Amino acid sequence: MGNEPIENAVLVIPCSGIGKVHGLMSREATYLVTDELAPKQTDTLCLALLVKGDSEAVAAVRSHACITIDGCAKACAEKNVAMAGGRVAKAFQVAEAFKNHRGAKPGSATALTDDGWTLTREIADSVACEAARLSACEEVIR
Amino acid sequence: MSAEVTKVGIISCSGEAIPEGTISRLATRRVLELLRPTTTVTLCLPLFLAGNEAERNFAKTHPTITIDGCEKQCAKWGTEEHSGPVSSALVVAGILGTQTAGCHRSSRDSSPPDKQAVWAVAERIAAEVDSVLAEMGPRDDVAAGSSGAQCSCSSPTPGGKLTIQGATVSLTGLPLIFEQCAERNISADTSGCAALLDAVKIYHRVLPEEEADYRSALLAAYQVFRSGARPTK
Repeated sequence: MGNEPIENAVLVIPCSGIGKVHGLMSREATYLVTDELAPKQTDTLCLALLVKGDSEAVAAVRSHACITIDGCAKACAEKNVAMAGGRVAKAFQVAEAFKNHRGAKPGSATALTDDGWTLTREIADSVACEAARLSACEEVIR
Repeated sequence: MSAEVTKVGIISCSGEAIPEGTISRLATRRVLELLRPTTTVTLCLPLFLAGNEAERNFAKTHPTITIDGCEKQCAKWGTEEHSGPVSSALVVAGILGTQTAGCHRSSRDSSPPDKQAVWAVAERIAAEVDSVLAEMGPRDDVAAGSSGAQCSCSSPTPGGKLTIQGATVSLTGLPLIFEQCAERNISADTSGCAALLDAVKIYHRVLPEEEADYRSALLAAYQVFRSGARPTK
């Protein structure tokens, strides 16, 4: 998969934060959605392309519904998509997933534990549901 | 460059769309955790737009190396556009060439080619860190903290302890070194001693007169590691 998103796909864009496990969870949740749960409805795009100001990436986030997944409250993914003029249809925060898993030890910024994968899969399930809802809406509009 | 600047910043593109982005992210983590833990820091690239002034000043307050997955060099261009000039810019595709053909984006699919790619790129980044520091000239030992923005990513790396000539020696990252040795099928018997020592000497100074003790201590610890237990922490 390259940097040109699937036509009509919902773009799932994680922060991939390099400093904390939450960034890795955002990234792996994205892959679970785009590669396993909803490969025909979703795609991802390099967030770094938006930081660079790449014209194709900017056009992509403006023409596709976007779901962002952020690891921390700085919300880099959501903010960068919004700054590029993109449509953030839904913004997820990894920290929300911990509310029902007090004391979970998800791993590190490099590798997830079983706890980490459980939480990540829950996030991915939520994102896939939202992507399905958005896709249905887009179908109606078309 | 101010006198406070003591650590090299590494900015990874972490590009989500391609395996090389995953390699750039993991190789950066490997350098921060294992190869050069006391001389490097990082920052999330998207913070240049989403963060505050201190975060945008990152490349002005740290000599910075960017590591990009592809020739678009988003980390380099994004850093220079929003933060400051970089000291060096590496590209995974340039370092590894066709070796990334069998690599994956998700760590769920991680295979030996992925791990070898991460090690190769991490070692290239570490060499670049050394080069940047050498260009800065003689310096005092790196301070525990430095000014400016950085991620809270410097959590302690798991280490291991060996007894060498009656003294306890701590080796940062020993489990990771053993993990790499296991992936290279280095035997947990005397035939693997030399290879174990060579692997450790990449990251730690071993005096010639200590080598024999290191060989036997490393072999014992590696046998424990291969049996499923962890070296003494």
